[in-house]
Amino acid sequence: MKMQRFAVTCLAAICFAVLVRGQVTYERLLNAGKEPGNWMTYSGSYRSWRYSSLDQITRQTASRLKVEWVYQMPTTLMVETTPLVADGIMYLTEPPSNVVALDAATGRQYWKYRRELPNRINVCCGQVNRGVAILGNRIFVGTVDAHLVALDAKTGAVLWDVRVADHTTGHSITVAPLVVKDTVICGISGGEYGVRGFLDAYDVATGKRRWRFWTVPEPGQPGGETWPGDAWKTGGAPTWTTGSFDAEQNLIIWGTGNPSPDWNGDSRRGDNLYSDSAIALDADTGKLKWYFQFVPHDVHDWDATQVPILVDGEWRGQPRKLIYWAHRNGFYYVLDREKGTFLFGTPFAKQTWAKGLDSAGHPIRLPNIDPSPEGTYIWPGVQGATNWYSPSYNPLTKLFYLSVWENRSVYRKGEQEYSPGNRYIGSVPLIDLPEDPGHGAVRALNPQTGERVWNYDLHTKPWAGVLSTAGQLVFGGSDEGHFFALDAETGGEVWRQNLGGIIRANPVTYLVNGRQFVSIAAGSALFTFALAR
Amino acid sequence: MRTLVAVIWAASLAAQQPLRNPRTSPEDIALGAKTFRSHCAPCHGMHAEGGRGPNLASGRFYRGSSDANLLTNITEGIPGTEMPALFYMEDRVWQIIAYIRSLNAAAERPAGDVSRGAALFMSKGCIGCHRVGGEGGSLGPDLTGVGKIRSIEHLRQSIVDPSADVQPRYWVASFKDDSGKPVEGFVMNEDTYSVQLMDLNQQLHSYQKAALRGYKVEKVSKMPSYKDSLTGEPLNDLVAYLASLRPE
Repeated sequence: MKMQRFAVTCLAAICFAVLVRGQVTYERLLNAGKEPGNWMTYSGSYRSWRYSSLDQITRQTASRLKVEWVYQMPTTLMVETTPLVADGIMYLTEPPSNVVALDAATGRQYWKYRRELPNRINVCCGQVNRGVAILGNRIFVGTVDAHLVALDAKTGAVLWDVRVADHTTGHSITVAPLVVKDTVICGISGGEYGVRGFLDAYDVATGKRRWRFWTVPEPGQPGGETWPGDAWKTGGAPTWTTGSFDAEQNLIIWGTGNPSPDWNGDSRRGDNLYSDSAIALDADTGKLKWYFQFVPHDVHDWDATQVPILVDGEWRGQPRKLIYWAHRNGFYYVLDREKGTFLFGTPFAKQTWAKGLDSAGHPIRLPNIDPSPEGTYIWPGVQGATNWYSPSYNPLTKLFYLSVWENRSVYRKGEQEYSPGNRYIGSVPLIDLPEDPGHGAVRALNPQTGERVWNYDLHTKPWAGVLSTAGQLVFGGSDEGHFFALDAETGGEVWRQNLGGIIRANPVTYLVNGRQFVSIAAGSALFTFALAR
Repeated sequence: MRTLVAVIWAASLAAQQPLRNPRTSPEDIALGAKTFRSHCAPCHGMHAEGGRGPNLASGRFYRGSSDANLLTNITEGIPGTEMPALFYMEDRVWQIIAYIRSLNAAAERPAGDVSRGAALFMSKGCIGCHRVGGEGGSLGPDLTGVGKIRSIEHLRQSIVDPSADVQPRYWVASFKDDSGKPVEGFVMNEDTYSVQLMDLNQQLHSYQKAALRGYKVEKVSKMPSYKDSLTGEPLNDLVAYLASLRPE
């Protein structure tokens, strides 16, 4: 009898293990930090720290990092993907909108979903994709023709495919979706095409839309008064970088992009809510709980499409729910997560457009900073002091890490009229000055003060996100193709490898068969490293 | 039957006719200019002088020079390049083309004599540093197709004031190497950790920056100015020769 009970118990354990393997439940996503062997959401957890408690690769061992495998993508498009890893299987996107499932230990392919696309796809900055979301046996991907697709995680078969928006009017999806409970949260791109931005939630089982929050309110709605005439219809404020989820408050916290047209605000006088903002939405209804607008009436294309880092910590001696946010406009912010109130802000890179921030966090603009027909030189440049690539927060060092650009652009103001599906940008900016290209860095900030703790200089401006680990390492990359590991406390270089291609992606780390791996996309390949055996 | 043959013949003749731009009035050109400044100028420059995209004002195009070529390239985009497709009605594209053609018609014609300029190119030593059609030195930019991508004024300026606009490829790095030897050369490539150079003897070198002392990069040209030695007619001749370098 005892033997029989033992067998039943064993069987139950095996069944549970089988059930768990390949079944990424919401509870597992909620507790992702307890499963450092997997990387199950875009930023590694709902709090978006891009931090792993794995510590096999450390400051002492990192010099033994070697390429374990490489996955080559048959594309000339830019690769911006963040892979997910669940139970030994890696799911990643390859541009424009394909999905691949690989053995995370060897890089060998299980399946590939190839997205058939219409001939005419107009995406402002390349037909890219930043990753997938996972729940249960389903993988979710947004496509550049503005569809959201659910795939069978075991075969890549299409389970449902819904049109999120009309791609002929400049809508596209480049963002990695985020699963929250039984919905897929999906943003939209098109801020350079005069789309009206939104954030959507779709039923994971059916693809039916549960809610839509318009990031540009129509007349009569709160915020509608910040848009004159019909400007709201083409107001932009897209949602093209994955946000975070505050489970305790049931709040989705997401950044919004620039108002359209980008560099000529004459047709949209007003604050242009909710462009360039952090928005907090009820996860079940999509109702706005609060917002904080970083740049009212933006005319420099300084999207708030950065990943919000959610930290429960002390603020001036009191426990508080915080958001750490380094913005494209060159300022680092601390916000209260319950009400969205501004707590603190200070520049983290050179900026020449604001004297500072007032007590509410609004910029105190300097004179003559707007784009002009003859051109206005302003730091930071059009691509910002930082951008969509991910920052990281490490709870051991209590530091905030990010990739930084130190450069300027010539902001020029042109004329613009809207025509569906064409660029609606309002100017001819000179994004990079050939004679003064600027430079970059990976930087560590004290998140409570914004003070620079260390700086790792780069000759060029990086498009790579950063990852920090319990091994006291910060992984980052450069446009020059170097992938490197830095000492999380000092910024000293511990290891680096030339990957031979531009890095415009975020690193992740995971564990398979007891070995820690680190992956990053470079050029048109995904490189995965582990310690030499 | 004869009628059918006539119809087929007429259709065949029509198919051979070059596409004609139906929107060429001054109003069309003005509207084309407006559209151009909104949608094309970010890459091709405010006056189509070129930038990320090629110069469209010169009348020479890399992907076909006919109106039909332009219509296709604008409406369909150019695969494999950054040139996107536009979702425009055909009339509006024709207006853009009319504007581009108005620039082509107004393109400055150099006043000098091409053959005399070619002789000057050799006698003044330009050929020692610049290559044309596979002949010449490699210290300076290859000028084989320079007439396609540079305006007359830019060519003239490059001769009399070479440092006014120096491409990063021709910036000059100087330092002492790990043995203390002074080195000077053109920056062919540079990253955070290393620099790749062509020295003034046209030899290639790669250095790790950490081993160098006094590393600096100056954004000036090594080409001498011809401001005093080449003026008037000879200068016009040389400019005319350079502008003529437009291989198909």
